[in-house]
Formats: sequence, structure tokens, C-alpha cells
Amino acid sequence: MCFQNLPVEFDAQGNARLKEGVGIPYAYQTRDVDRSQIEQLLASNGHVKDINLDPVTRVAGAMAFHTVVDLQQRKVLEAHSIGTLFRGYEVILKGRDPRDAMFISSRVCGVCGGVHSVASSLAMEMAFGIGVPPMGLALRNIQLGLDFQIDNPVHLYLLAGPDYSQVVIERTNPSLWERAKKTETRHGNIHGFATMAELMTAFNPLTGKLYLEGLHMTRAPKEAYSILFGKYPHPQTVVPGGLSTTVSMQVLNETEIRIIRTLDYAKRGVFIWDDITQFFYDADPLYKQVGTRPKNMIDTGMWDDPFAYDGTYAGAAEWGDQRWATPGVIMDGELVTTNLHHINMGMEEFVEHAYYEGWENEGTPYPTDPAGNPLSPNHPWNKETKPRPDKRSWKDRYTWSTSPRWDRQVMEAGAYARLWATAAAAKMPHTRFLQATGTSVKIDTPQTPALPAMELEWQIPETWNAFERNLARAYHVVYSLMVAYENVQIAFELMGDGENKVATMTEFRVPRDERVGVGFWGAGRGFLTHHLTMDKGVLTNYQVVTPSTFNASPVDPFGQPGPYEEAAVNTPILEEFDSDKEFTGIDIFRAIRSFDPCMPCTVHIANGDNMIIRDATTCACGAT
Amino acid sequence: MENMISVPMKARVDLPLEGEVSRLLPDQVGNVAGAHNSELQQRLLESGGRRDTLGPLKKVYLFWLPGMSCDGCTVSTLGATDPSIEELLTGALPGVPVVVLHHYQFQMESGDHFTLLLEQADAGALDAPYILVYEGSITDEHLTVGAEPWAAKGSLPTWAPADQRQRRSTPEWVRRLAPGAAVTIAIGTCATWGGIPASLGNPTGAMSMMDFLGKDYRSSLGLPVVNVPGCPPIGDDFTEAVTMLLKYMNGQGPVPEFDELGRPAWQFGETVHLHCPRGAWYEEGNFAREFGGKECLAEIGCWGPVVNCHITERGFINGKGGCMVAGGACIGCMSPGFPDKFTPFYKRPPQTTPATALSRIHGALTKPLRRTTQLERNREPRWRSTTPSGWAPQYDNVTIAHRTFEYFYTRIQYFRSELPGRHEKDEEKYASGYMVPPEAAYGKEYAQLLPDRRADEARKRGTYQRPGLSPQADGFETPLQGDQE
Repeated sequence: MCFQNLPVEFDAQGNARLKEGVGIPYAYQTRDVDRSQIEQLLASNGHVKDINLDPVTRVAGAMAFHTVVDLQQRKVLEAHSIGTLFRGYEVILKGRDPRDAMFISSRVCGVCGGVHSVASSLAMEMAFGIGVPPMGLALRNIQLGLDFQIDNPVHLYLLAGPDYSQVVIERTNPSLWERAKKTETRHGNIHGFATMAELMTAFNPLTGKLYLEGLHMTRAPKEAYSILFGKYPHPQTVVPGGLSTTVSMQVLNETEIRIIRTLDYAKRGVFIWDDITQFFYDADPLYKQVGTRPKNMIDTGMWDDPFAYDGTYAGAAEWGDQRWATPGVIMDGELVTTNLHHINMGMEEFVEHAYYEGWENEGTPYPTDPAGNPLSPNHPWNKETKPRPDKRSWKDRYTWSTSPRWDRQVMEAGAYARLWATAAAAKMPHTRFLQATGTSVKIDTPQTPALPAMELEWQIPETWNAFERNLARAYHVVYSLMVAYENVQIAFELMGDGENKVATMTEFRVPRDERVGVGFWGAGRGFLTHHLTMDKGVLTNYQVVTPSTFNASPVDPFGQPGPYEEAAVNTPILEEFDSDKEFTGIDIFRAIRSFDPCMPCTVHIANGDNMIIRDATTCACGAT
Repeated sequence: MENMISVPMKARVDLPLEGEVSRLLPDQVGNVAGAHNSELQQRLLESGGRRDTLGPLKKVYLFWLPGMSCDGCTVSTLGATDPSIEELLTGALPGVPVVVLHHYQFQMESGDHFTLLLEQADAGALDAPYILVYEGSITDEHLTVGAEPWAAKGSLPTWAPADQRQRRSTPEWVRRLAPGAAVTIAIGTCATWGGIPASLGNPTGAMSMMDFLGKDYRSSLGLPVVNVPGCPPIGDDFTEAVTMLLKYMNGQGPVPEFDELGRPAWQFGETVHLHCPRGAWYEEGNFAREFGGKECLAEIGCWGPVVNCHITERGFINGKGGCMVAGGACIGCMSPGFPDKFTPFYKRPPQTTPATALSRIHGALTKPLRRTTQLERNREPRWRSTTPSGWAPQYDNVTIAHRTFEYFYTRIQYFRSELPGRHEKDEEKYASGYMVPPEAAYGKEYAQLLPDRRADEARKRGTYQRPGLSPQADGFETPLQGDQE
């Protein structure tokens, strides 16, 4: 069954229960961090350098990291990722009227637009026992398709992109630049750049065409988003049970036109990033190891079927499978489950290395979920957020980020995890433009202003590294835009049928009894959950787990580092330098930025035992 | 409207200039482009991307520091179009100095290389004035004595071993840089008024720039903190305010006007309700009864009538969007009282019920009059007894009450004015007796006659009518005949 480490088994009907004969279920022993070897090397080997990067730029939010590299062996020995910002959103929400939750939790992240308000309203829909009318769901799907047209391209062309620009390549790898001048691109007929050197020049900051276009092309989707939801980020029209958007032909028309204009740009992006990826692979196969880590991924899925979603926890396994992006857990490249109940049951958060107090004295208010499945005392429904500022110690606490784990294993979240789970599960209902095959997702794009209709196919990659993350993200831009486009067509049809109702509730009424809810949704960087409990009309607990909380997590009590840390440590140093003084760290930057860190909270990468930490709380995303 | 993506024609960022210091620094970790953004921008300036500018200032540094922020203000500013961020960065606007941006999200350089420019500003060693922009709430670092700060940028001293460094909190940067800044701008509601991180029940003691710097703070130009609020702010509000300030600094414009809370007065002078496209629904007493309704949102919890903002006029981006435009009730995100003085959101504000009750009474009186008048104004002057609408044949049916109302209405409308058309009086006619052709053909009432009535008139007067030209008379089966004069 899907759990290897949790004390959970399944009966013949597939119902989960605690294994019998386990003394204290979910108990664990904390493993100490041992840095003595690193400290010894630092003291004795002149080529082993202690590198302090504060801040790491071109990531969303504030991130710092500390790393130890051996410049002679060209290896990263240790990395610590530090999230240094805490804002306390979960604490602020505790005790508040649930009507405040969507607007307050939205402000967790200003980069991913409205993903938090939607996740919050999903959690409330579950708690209140209400669904959403089809038009409301179709518009939400459009919203979250548009969201990523801002998020993902900003990352590809303004944050990570400049790492592949002429000015950087010329400085860090002169031989690659010479090669680029002589290398023809594979897809010049589509993106218009004949040589790799031309393409890299277009990535130059301030003057490059792709850089300036990256700034400009986020505007059309932002306009469409603002037309439907008022503003971006922090939409103004999301309510439990739907939306308060006033939908009309004009609104749908203005949205559709902007989607098509953006789609043209998005299609080109796939070919640009394919050229970048292939160029580096061809130049040196070692680039396949930049940012590599095990293929362990988790995603909550998103974009509900307007006719399947009912907002219940009991039905989550069914409506989850009907989503445009299938929920899923990938372990060693294999799909383990798509069941949202399993995904929820397997979640735990640990704070042994973060600036929080434990909550073991608070009891376990929810030993099971509403369907009767067992939950850990470390599950978000049982967790308490108790901040406690402290000194930094690589062996003890060093970040504001918690360590979320699934089945006590390190999971990576990302837009690509969404594609991966969808492709592998092949459960996505066949739609007009998108198809999951088991090994790939096919995206059938219509004609757009500059490019003809074309079928794009993202294949589950054999290797997993920084380049594949960026390439998959470029595909994800097209994928999510086509989800939005398809939902515009659905909205038009609904309008034709007179199904214009966008919300279930006519008034925001808050139940007074005890309720629980969870919103399973996705951010630009993947996985997102909001867990809430409420009683007597106020929120008694509110917990947010963001994708960057997974990715930037510090080492867990079992000694496993977080994904950034793993990826940094697995990265070979491939840049060219004559003396240690000339080392820039570009390969490490590429590895880290490929995750699209979202740290309006700060990240700290710590890797004594290979660990990286991210602080979710300061972050737009991590502000849990 | 699509903006053109204009790439500066001759500007190059790949040609190093003499005197660039970043390559000479003790180590190169983090300097991946071999130059800092400030150096790249200097290359751009000198390679011809920048034309001769009006005024003495060629460039101004802009330090963007984040406190407890979600980055939403940055994201919002990226969408601005009047002017756009790229226009400011590449020196596209005459009279506006190039903005040399120092922003954690956009610098090519990381680590100590990033911190260097901040240190230079602190030491007064920059070659141009600087503006300080702060996004996010200010943290209370008294609460973190002996621990890591809540929010920090950079570890100092630079190029020292890790164990000898201290992370510098963003409030400390503000305290050092604000006095020397030409202007200090707080962007977004967290920085201007504290916002959500400073809301009641927060665990960090967060506050706003004004709270932190106090009443007596003045920038080197003598200005208190300039506040551009909003959660998120409208990108154009910010880039516009910065541009106006830059023009002023460069002797190319007046001192921008700010209100008593340091907001750009031309942006925040009125309530968002005054510009709201749904405001007239309020005036007629029509209120949305459910989410998604097209009417005024007052009764589902909108605070618009009391909130200083102009998103309903400016739109959110490029003239598009805006909360109430799309259907979102105002939650006061631009106000110093946000969020706590507006919660619970979606609960009707106390002043709303009496106000909307009055507006319903007003609406009950004015609506019937307006609808009747509107009905008549939806009729051409030619639609008297019949209306040629195939969409709604019943459109013909005009009640006697309507006709009576309209009779008196028209009397009042043209009281001491003249009805259009040349009627009886001599001064309305040609002195020569000339008649325009339709008048000659159908009589002076011609403009109020539909084709069938015109045909009757023509028959009476013996005027020739072309056969096959009148669908109403001939039906659509008849092919158009040739001219048979």
C-alpha cells in the first residue's frame, strides 16, 4: 500500500486504519545533526570554502543560504537554506471570524495571486457543507490558469532566465559562449533566434528581448485576471461557494482575447527552453546533474470539473480524480496514489529545526479525519503555530520554515509535479485540448496570432534536474493556459444555457458549531493546502502548507534534508575559474532557482547533512 | 491596448566600462554576470540607450527594501503601464532620470555583492541621489534580541567569516538610509499603515513606516514619508508618484501634491464610491442580493463609500479591472484601518442599512419616472403607432398613461426652447421657400414617418416611388427591380 513509514494499513475495502501492535503510533526519535566532518574540512583544507550568500536574489522573497563547497573536488559539501521572515498569518487568523480568512490568507503570498483565497474558500466550503455552481467553478479555473501566466513567465525570463544569458555565460563559462556562437538553434523557425548566442543575448537583463518581453507579457493575463477578479494579486471576488464576479459576455470576451494573445507567447516559450536544455546537455552531460534529486513529488491537483466537485471531504477521492490536474504522489518516479484522502492522511509537519515550539502538550484534537482515517499528531489539523525567535544553529534551529513530509519522506512540489502526476495517472477526463497518456501530457493548441495550431507533448523525463524543471514549467504555462481557454468555452456554454449563477450562498453565513475543512489546491509552484478548524463561529486553528514549505524545508527529525538542500549538494561545479577567488556559484544558483523559490519569506539552505530550509511564514508563500 | 516592447536600439549591457569595481572585490561568489546591475545600467546609459535628457540628473538610485511583505507590491508594480517599469529602467522618458533599481528580486548579483550598494548608500558614497522604497510592515526587533531578526537583508560585515557576521534587520537599514534618501516611499498597506502583519492578534509587533520613523522624520528633500497604499497597490499609482517626484527632483515638474497622510492627493483625494460604475445603482436604490449580482455591492459588505481610493476610475492595470468593477466588495485595503476596522469582511457595514434605506426611497420615486422616460428615449421619432422591431412585437404597445406622461414631459423639456425640426415659424424656414427633398416628397412631418406612411403620403402627392425598394411593402421574396423611370 502507499504508506511505507506511517503506522497505517488498509483493510480489504481499502479503508485505512492504524496498524495493530504499534506501541505509540506516530512516535519518532529525533536524529542529531553531525557537522564534525565539515568543520574539520573547513579548518584543514584551503579549497573548502564556507560561502555565505545573503541574500539570494532573483527569487521571490527573501532568501539566504550558507554553503560549504570544495572547489578542488568541485563538489558542494553542505548547504543551509534559511528563511528569515516570519509574519504570523496562522496566528493572526486564530480566533478570527472565518469571513476574514480568505482575504487575510490571500496576503500570504503576493506572487501567486489568488491561490490562497481559493484554497481558503475550498476549506470553508468543506466546513460549511456547500458546493459551487458550475459557472463559479469554470471562472475559478480560468482564474488559476491565468495566475500561472504571471507567475511562471516571471520566473522563466526575469528570475531564472538571466542565469542563461550572454552576460552570465560569457563570465562563468567562456567556452560555452564560444560554442553558443557556433551552435544553431533547433527551433529558430519558431522563436526567431538563429544561434544559441542570439538566444542567450535575448536573455540579457535590461536590454534582452526575452527579458523585456517577460516584463510586458505578464500584463495581458493580469488584465484578464483583473477583469474577472478585480485585481492581481489578491483577488477581490472569491467567496466560499463560488465567486462574486459579475459575469457577462463582455467579461468573457475580454478574457478570451487576452488568453489567445498570451498563448502565442507561451507556445514560443516551450521551444526556447527546449533549445536551452538541449544545448547544455550536448555541451556537457554533467549538466544533467545540476539540481538533481530523487523523483519524489507531491501534488494536490487543481482545476475542478464544474460538474463533479461537491465540496465534501467524503467525495474528495472522486472529485479529485476529475480535476484537470490529477492529485498524486510520485515516489522514485512511480505514481503511488491519486487519492486526496491518502495525500491528506500522509501529511505531517515537523519543527525540530525551525523557530517554533512543539505542540505535544496540546493533545491530538483530531485523531481521525472526517472519513475516519487515522491522522498523525503532527498533521496540520492537530498542529499549533507557536513562534519562538531563536539563535541560528545548524545543529538545532535555523529557519522559520517547518518540515512538511509525506509518509515521512522528502517531497518536492512544483508546477512540474502537477504535470507529472497528471501524466502518470492518466485519469484526467479527456478534454478538448488536453490528454494524459500515462507517460506524457499532450496539449493541443489552437492557432494563435503568430503561430499555427500545434500539438505539444510533455514527456515524463528520464533525468530530473534544474533544466527539466524549467522546461516542464514552460510546458506548464501552455498547459494551464489551455485549461483557462477550455473553461472560457465552458463558461460561454453555461451562459448560453442560462447557468449564470456564480455562488451557492447569497449571504456569507458562518455556522456556529464545530467544523473542519481543508482546501486542496495548487500554487504556481505546486502543492497547496489550507487546513482549518472552527467552533462557535471563530477559527480555532488555521494551517497553511505551501509548495515552498516543502521545497525549502529544513532537515527533518529523521535527518533528511529538504529538497533545495539535496539539490544543491547534488550539483557538480561546472563553471570555469582559474583561482578560487573567481568562483561565482552559478551552478548552485541554477539548481536553487529551478525550484522557483517563493520566499516572500526567506529561505535558508542548510546542508550540513545536506539540508536546506525555507521559512514559510514570512513568505508570501511560506507565511504559515 | 498593447504596448510596444521596445528594446533600446544601441544599448549594450555586455561591454564592460572602465572603473567597474565589482570584479575587483575580494571574491566573486554571487557576481554571476561579472557586474552588478548598477554597472549594467551604467553600460546601458553610456552605450547610447539613453538619449540626452532634460534636466541635470542622469540617474537616481532606487533602493527597494522588503520587510514583512508578500512581494505583492513588487508584482503589482511590474504590471504598471503609466509609466512602465522598463521605461523607467531604460531611460525611455525625457526629463525623467534613469532609475537604477536595487531590488532583491531583480539583481543579477547576490550575497555580499548585493549588499555593497546598500553599504555605499549608507556611507554617502553614491554618485547620484537615491530614493528609498519600503515594502511590507516594519518588524519590532526589540522582540528578537539575542535571536535572528524577524526580517533581514544581508550579513555584515561583508567578506567576513560567517561566524563573525550579523544579519542586518531591515528596520536597521531603514534607520540608516532614510535620513539620506531624497524621498522615502512606503509602498503598499503594510508599509504605509502596518497592514495584515500588524493587525490585532499578530505575534510579531509589526508596524508601519510612519509609526517607525515618527512625526519628525524628513527626507533630504524635506519630505515626510510618502505613502502609496493598497493591498496590493495599483502599480500605476506607484510608478506615477515616483515619476512625478523624479521630474520634480530634476527640475522638470512641480512638487507633487500630497494629502495629510502623505498620499498622492490626486490619487487618493476621493472615495472609491464616487468613481464607482455601480454607484448609480446605489443612487436608484438597487442592491445586489447575491454574489455575482450586477447592482451596487453595499449590502453584501462594500465599504466603498468611506474609503479613499480610485481603483474604479483608474482600473487595476492598464485601465482594466478594479474591485467593484469586477464584482468585489470594497474591504478598505487602502485605508489605515485595514484590516481590523473593516472586519468581519462581508458583514454589512453599520452605516449601510440606513443609507441604503434612504436610497431605496429615493429610488422608488425616481425609478418609475426614469423608466418611462427611458422607454420613450428608446423610440425613434418615427415610431409613433407601430414599431418595426421583430425582436419584441409588443414594443408597439404604448399605454395611454405613457403617452400622457410623455406629452407633459416634452412640454417641460422644450419649455422656452424649440422642438427640433422646421415647424411653423418663419425663422425656422428658408426665406426662399426652399424645401429639403423629403419634405417636398412627403410633407413637413416626413422625419416622423416610417416607409409605409411615406408611401401613403407619396401616393397622395403623386410622387414617384421606386418599385421593389420597400421590404415592408413588397416582402423579401421580390428581387430588386431595375430602375424603370
